[in-house]
Amino acid sequence: MTGAASTDAPARPHPSTLRIGVWLSMPVRPRSLLIGGILVVALIVTGVLTLTLGTLGIALGDIVPTLRGERQGRDEIVLTAFRGPRLVVGLAAGAALAVSGALFQTVTRNPLGSPDVIGLTSGASAGAAAFGLLWPGLLPLPVGALLGAFLAMALVFFGTGTGFSSPSRILLIGIGVSAMSLAFVQWVLVRAGREQATVLATYLNGSLAARDWNHATTIWAAIVILIPCALLLSRRLQLIEMGDEQADALGARSSAARALSISVAIGLATAAVSVAGPIAFIALVAPQIARRLSRSAGPNILASALMGAFLLSLADLLTQQLPLDVTLPVGVLTAILGGIYLGVLLFAQWKKGTL
Amino acid sequence: MARANNRTGRMPSGHSAGGSRLAARDLRLAYDKRVVVDGLSIDVPDGGFTIVVGPNACGKSTLLKALSRTLKPASGQVLLDGEPIDSYRSKAVARQLAMLPQSPIAPEAITVRDLVGRGRYPHQHLLQQWSHEDELAVADALSSTGCADLSERYVAELSGGQRQRVWIAMILAQQTDLLLLDEPTTFLDIAHQYEVLELCARLHSDGRTLVAVLHDLNQAARYASNLVVMKEGRIVASGLPGDILTADLVESVFGLPCVIIPDPVTGTPMVVPRAAPHP
Repeated sequence: MTGAASTDAPARPHPSTLRIGVWLSMPVRPRSLLIGGILVVALIVTGVLTLTLGTLGIALGDIVPTLRGERQGRDEIVLTAFRGPRLVVGLAAGAALAVSGALFQTVTRNPLGSPDVIGLTSGASAGAAAFGLLWPGLLPLPVGALLGAFLAMALVFFGTGTGFSSPSRILLIGIGVSAMSLAFVQWVLVRAGREQATVLATYLNGSLAARDWNHATTIWAAIVILIPCALLLSRRLQLIEMGDEQADALGARSSAARALSISVAIGLATAAVSVAGPIAFIALVAPQIARRLSRSAGPNILASALMGAFLLSLADLLTQQLPLDVTLPVGVLTAILGGIYLGVLLFAQWKKGTL
Repeated sequence: MARANNRTGRMPSGHSAGGSRLAARDLRLAYDKRVVVDGLSIDVPDGGFTIVVGPNACGKSTLLKALSRTLKPASGQVLLDGEPIDSYRSKAVARQLAMLPQSPIAPEAITVRDLVGRGRYPHQHLLQQWSHEDELAVADALSSTGCADLSERYVAELSGGQRQRVWIAMILAQQTDLLLLDEPTTFLDIAHQYEVLELCARLHSDGRTLVAVLHDLNQAARYASNLVVMKEGRIVASGLPGDILTADLVESVFGLPCVIIPDPVTGTPMVVPRAAPHP
């Protein structure tokens, strides 16, 4: 990494800037734009493949007429009842999980600080286990999961003694809460009969099978409201990366920004978990991959969202089309895919010496 | 959005030469219940280079945190331009006063120019995230710290001395009159320590007001226009190093028997220990 071009003209505008008159100026990174563009294309390809592949697939040329509602019968049912909602839910849930992970990772300044690790997802599992097997019928499974997630986050909030202001305490208490939640899940599963346990296991891995438009509305409402909130917070989050004291000295009010970001992140993750179950790894991996591809510091909210949507829809496409004798819950695949990809990236960076 | 500040920040803004834009009255500073500083008052002379020294845990870094409003006093007040500092909006304070903490964290995968650009945050708002002024301020900060050649490099690749210059460039990009630096020479080898101190001296001679916490008494005596000596949360002496730095003071504050001789290069007081103190 020697021989970086020495610039004699430091006033050269570096981050290309978008300016509209005097009232708008934004730094724009060509590389981030490129990565974003590639991800959008990848999303479209994945979406089209999801709709067209397999025995139920809609023929490529029939997609647009079906979307317009010009075709009745089998294609319409596949689009509106099976693959359409599943795809739409998967895209939004992936984006929600990824942005949640990006926020958590930035405020805890730790790549492990994701809802998977600090107990939110395991809390959701515990909630689902409680209302699925312990007190069945009392509440629907997704509502139970939501309750569990909130309870877990409340435990973290009060367990730290300082709310959400100290990153290391959030991580430590979160890992503890996560372990307790998983122990609770195990206890419930052991108590339950084998059949019931199998049904619940599918949910506990996270699944996009049999989603409907209500699920889609829930998760899209969440991302349409909360991702812009995350974007508004992202400049203050960039400063928190440099340490709370430096952020405060620059006027970013780190404690308030952290509390707000965590609230947004909890909202996004619980929305995703309530429609798709505790899908593993997307929140952990997508922001890291997005950051490494766009090679820029900061939470990279939009790149993370696109990456999460892509990873989850791709994983779901694979679960639907892989020639396996069982239909895997998508969460199993995300864990495998995400793990492999992160490993490859880390290895590549380690070889280049930029890790 | 109120933009009452003057962007250059160099104008005396109505304060006479002997004034203090930044001051503290009867400060009591504590972490939870542990009181670190009690009953401390200080006037930071405008245009001066104030250096705070004292034994470990005497509260010098804590004082700097309070002056920069990153630590809220248990009681007492920090005054900026005569008004309580917490009566200003956070960004308004950050346009007047910049602070470099002891160990700021360089984000992963950030270039020098981007890091320095983050110092512009208090001057930006939602729709104006990168103005021409931002561009100029960053270029200015980079060139005055000798970092212009490094601007496209990743911060992680730099040496300790270069990195510290980059951090100073970041707070210079804030374009404030007042600069607070918490132990800016820690972790640097001796040549780079003097490089950073010379940079500070140059900023001081350009008319900025500096407050720095240092450990090395001889460096402090050489560069300070106002030396502040602290012990157990109180200021025990302050003034020109040549006037206040005596062997008695050093022995009573640090417990180190010494003689003071003139620095052969600058003539400022130089502390020479008599012998290592017995444990």
